[in-house]
Amino acid sequence: MTAVRQALWILLIALLPAFFASAFHPKRPAWSEDALKPGEERLGTVQSWGDSVLWVDARSRKEFDTEHIPNAVLLNLEEWDQLFPAFLDRWQPNQKVVVYCSSLACHMSEEVADRLKRNSVEPVYVLKGGWEAWKSKQ
Amino acid sequence: MRFPDLALTACRVILGGLFLIAGVTKAYDPAAFATEIQNYQLLPWVGDVLLSLFLPWVEIFAGCALFLKRFERGALLLISAMLIAYSVALISAIVRGLNIDCGCFGRLISPTGIAWALARNAGLMILAGVLWIFWLRGSRAPRIADSK
Repeated sequence: MTAVRQALWILLIALLPAFFASAFHPKRPAWSEDALKPGEERLGTVQSWGDSVLWVDARSRKEFDTEHIPNAVLLNLEEWDQLFPAFLDRWQPNQKVVVYCSSLACHMSEEVADRLKRNSVEPVYVLKGGWEAWKSKQ
Repeated sequence: MRFPDLALTACRVILGGLFLIAGVTKAYDPAAFATEIQNYQLLPWVGDVLLSLFLPWVEIFAGCALFLKRFERGALLLISAMLIAYSVALISAIVRGLNIDCGCFGRLISPTGIAWALARNAGLMILAGVLWIFWLRGSRAPRIADSK
């Protein structure tokens, strides 16, 4: 019983910072899935940036070869070491990079965006809705 | 300090320390952690958000408690429950063919494959098991692991 009581105390104590994080944490998640997550942008916003954006396709090579956003560069986690130098050849410092994967349900774009940031590539954004969002607007 | 006491202290410090670090990395970026949870496709988004806000702090306080030997039995209970829950989630991801990062340490370390995360969990469960065995035996509970 001691263990259970102590565990309940710990859970209770953890509620307090969790509550504050939900209200004030600068990187708190959005309650609605429709809301933009940090670093995410809608297609309309990205299009408003003009042609200076460098699109990064985080899907598989097969999907990229089938169809992709014009001038997009392929960069996925599976072939990162081979593809990253080609990305660097295309990217100009401070050029906005927008990463996309298949749809709302995929998260590869977030992982690629995260790895780009860790390689000092900034600014990097993720396209909300990914390829499906792009395709639906064509 | 005798060898069994030293081993118990090592188990407690490693287990508590790892949970403390894991909790801090997740608490630093709950939005990213919510996405990691969402990758498992087990809960609706609101559930992912709630867990992303609450779980890191449970890990931090449970890790701290075990590390500092305060409320250590409750901490061990929570850590054991979390290890089991995480392992079930990882196994379910394998069964459903999901190719995802485990999200165990937030984004502090490079994406970790599920198999490696499961192996690490198994190792941590052994440490927790050692502490449980000595605690349940009563004669050498974690509480007295560092006794003079």
